[in-house]
Amino acid sequence: MTMVAAQDAAALEEVQTPAQTEAPRILSGAQALMESLIAEGTEVIFGYPGGAIMPTYDALFDYTDRLDHILVRHEQGAGHAAQGYARTSGKPGVCLVTSGPGGTNLVTPIADAIIDCTPLVCIIGQVKSTLLGTDAFQETDIIGVTTPVCKWNYQITNADDVPAIIAKAFYIAKSGKPGPVVIDFTRDAQVSPMTKPYEYKKVETLASYKPRVIPKDEHLERAAQLINNAQRPYVLFGQGVLISGAEEELKAFAEKTDIPCASTLLGLSAMPIDHPNYVGWLGMHGNYGPNVLTTQADVVIAIGMRFDDRVTGDATKYIRQAKVIHIEIDPAEIDKIIKADAPVVGDAKETLKRLLPLVKQNNHAAWRNEFKKYDLIEEQKITQRELTPEGQIKMAEVVNMLSEKTKGEACVIADVGQHQMIAARYYKFKNPRSYIASGGLGTMGFAIPAAFGAKKGAPEREVVAFIGDGCFQMTIQELGTIAQSGLPVKLIILNNNYLGMVRQWQQLFFEKRYSFVELQNPDFVTIAKGFGIAGHTCSERENLGESLDRLLQSDKPYLLEVMVEKEENVFPMVPAGAAVADIRLD
Amino acid sequence: MTTYTICVFTENTFGLLNKITVIFTRRRINIESLTVSETERQGVSRYTITIKHDKREEVEKLVRQIRKVVEVLAVFGYLDDEIVYNEIALFKVATPIGGKPIDIETINKIYKAWVVYWGLDYVVIEKAGNENEILDFFRYIKSYGILEFVKSGRVAVGKTPAGLVEYLPEEVHWEYYV
Repeated sequence: MTMVAAQDAAALEEVQTPAQTEAPRILSGAQALMESLIAEGTEVIFGYPGGAIMPTYDALFDYTDRLDHILVRHEQGAGHAAQGYARTSGKPGVCLVTSGPGGTNLVTPIADAIIDCTPLVCIIGQVKSTLLGTDAFQETDIIGVTTPVCKWNYQITNADDVPAIIAKAFYIAKSGKPGPVVIDFTRDAQVSPMTKPYEYKKVETLASYKPRVIPKDEHLERAAQLINNAQRPYVLFGQGVLISGAEEELKAFAEKTDIPCASTLLGLSAMPIDHPNYVGWLGMHGNYGPNVLTTQADVVIAIGMRFDDRVTGDATKYIRQAKVIHIEIDPAEIDKIIKADAPVVGDAKETLKRLLPLVKQNNHAAWRNEFKKYDLIEEQKITQRELTPEGQIKMAEVVNMLSEKTKGEACVIADVGQHQMIAARYYKFKNPRSYIASGGLGTMGFAIPAAFGAKKGAPEREVVAFIGDGCFQMTIQELGTIAQSGLPVKLIILNNNYLGMVRQWQQLFFEKRYSFVELQNPDFVTIAKGFGIAGHTCSERENLGESLDRLLQSDKPYLLEVMVEKEENVFPMVPAGAAVADIRLD
Repeated sequence: MTTYTICVFTENTFGLLNKITVIFTRRRINIESLTVSETERQGVSRYTITIKHDKREEVEKLVRQIRKVVEVLAVFGYLDDEIVYNEIALFKVATPIGGKPIDIETINKIYKAWVVYWGLDYVVIEKAGNENEILDFFRYIKSYGILEFVKSGRVAVGKTPAGLVEYLPEEVHWEYYV
């Protein structure tokens, strides 16, 4: 995507020198973009230059004292890195790429970000506006391509529009249910001078788009009434708690009402694992009790979650017996999958804050203890076996040991597949924003770029990524980005030489017909070394502890490859399309 | 299958039609008719979209998804008895010399249709009404030889005393279109 079209040389001459008068400095569209990004508090841009975005990269060259830029190796990497950054920092991640393939390569992260509610501002170069629709070099209708997968998009063809549109883009990306926005920035709008002085006004409200943050009183009262009269109330919380920063409010609510709380995959770490009201996580490979006991609750309080099919299994059989309170900022999520008896449209933090005084102090110890019975069964049937030191190293042992060594304080990045589920099962999260994975889209290749993005967003934290051998090869080139940026992220390949999750399904549901799931892998450590990243392989259990120590003690990026059992299966498992009550333990 | 009329009010910006229609496409809901026009308020466009669906709750979900589009100001989903609606059709009918002369009186008085253009050996007749009325006229005029027939999408207003401006964001002063 670095090719520069012949027309570029000519286009550069279009830059007009602003008149040197007493008047305020007239900025080009590209300079206005830089100023606007700074005004929004942007610290870092993840990007990749190319023909149509070159004037903006040229402007960036003068702003490197105020804007950090990380040069990725593929635009997909820029997108996932920006997602990692947004998920640890809570601020929108910014990507800068060129037109055509630069933009289309960014589509996967954009689709990932919309489904996982991650705020991104994606600035994509475009050909000159006079060339639009002519099949010009590297011209793609990126507005058309991204419309179904982004929260908002806009094509800037006039430099004067830059400040207002960037302000709108940031507001839309981070407000309400966050998501990716796409700015298609034509070349002429980048190079031409603004016709008026640059002025930046942050957007705080839009006429047509007004997410409801504060819930309605009557909705709160109805919810409180259901909660106060419930015998077996049950909180299912999701990423909305993390996005709105409602961790303390959730704890206070859980402690006062004494309600057991379970997390979705993306809600993980919003509540510390050792909190007495925390019972585990939900979904296809979630914990036994939290899944099964959804059938026993009489009131379900869903907070900032959307009843994904990986959580509900067969939705027609999910929590039918319960009254449902759905606390959610996006009205379109209400009744989408599960009918809500008491919908509460609002931000999770603001809602929990207002709900707290309305709910009674309560004691649900007996109900909470029911989860413990199931925990015991899960412990005996699954956890003990997975942590028993015999045969080849199991993924669970690696995650468990890392959890102990980092005292549950690391920020864990997971790619997609068995290792993702095992990381979620065995890491004992202490702090919020500590589990970052591609949940809704299930994008293999997410972890390497998300890891250095996450590190950029939380430099003080230990960032450790668990990556499968299949996933690793989807964005392996981003090792170059890690090496060049020097961001000390720790990468752990859990290598079973298989596309493990697909193999597991083939074993269980396709009569063990292993259709194209075995990989002939490269020597990952040598490859890392080629990129300038140190690493080693661990194949023996007795070396695992020391191997993890080496990884953690490194003050530079480090790769640890652990050879794990080839045909391990992840349990519990709710087979696709089955009711959660039909969860399998083996 | 029930006919639903979905009225979408949006800011008048570029590319919005696509942003609206992809919501239908993704859910495999076929658009039966679509009209877009300016409203009585400057900068506000009105989309009138008819669909057929057998599940009301799915239509409600669709309406909420449309509301999520940033530029959308308001959305309403209506059943036929909740709106006043009409379509307009043009019939180009052959009137060759020596052919059967058209019966203007019947066309006007029975079918409430009007000849709006006289060609040398054809006429263009305009018929406004609902789908059935237009279809009735189609059946009547067919024997004269229809050279061309075109029908607009549905236009509709809600049966409520409220005006559009009451549903638009309050903080904006919505000027009349003209």
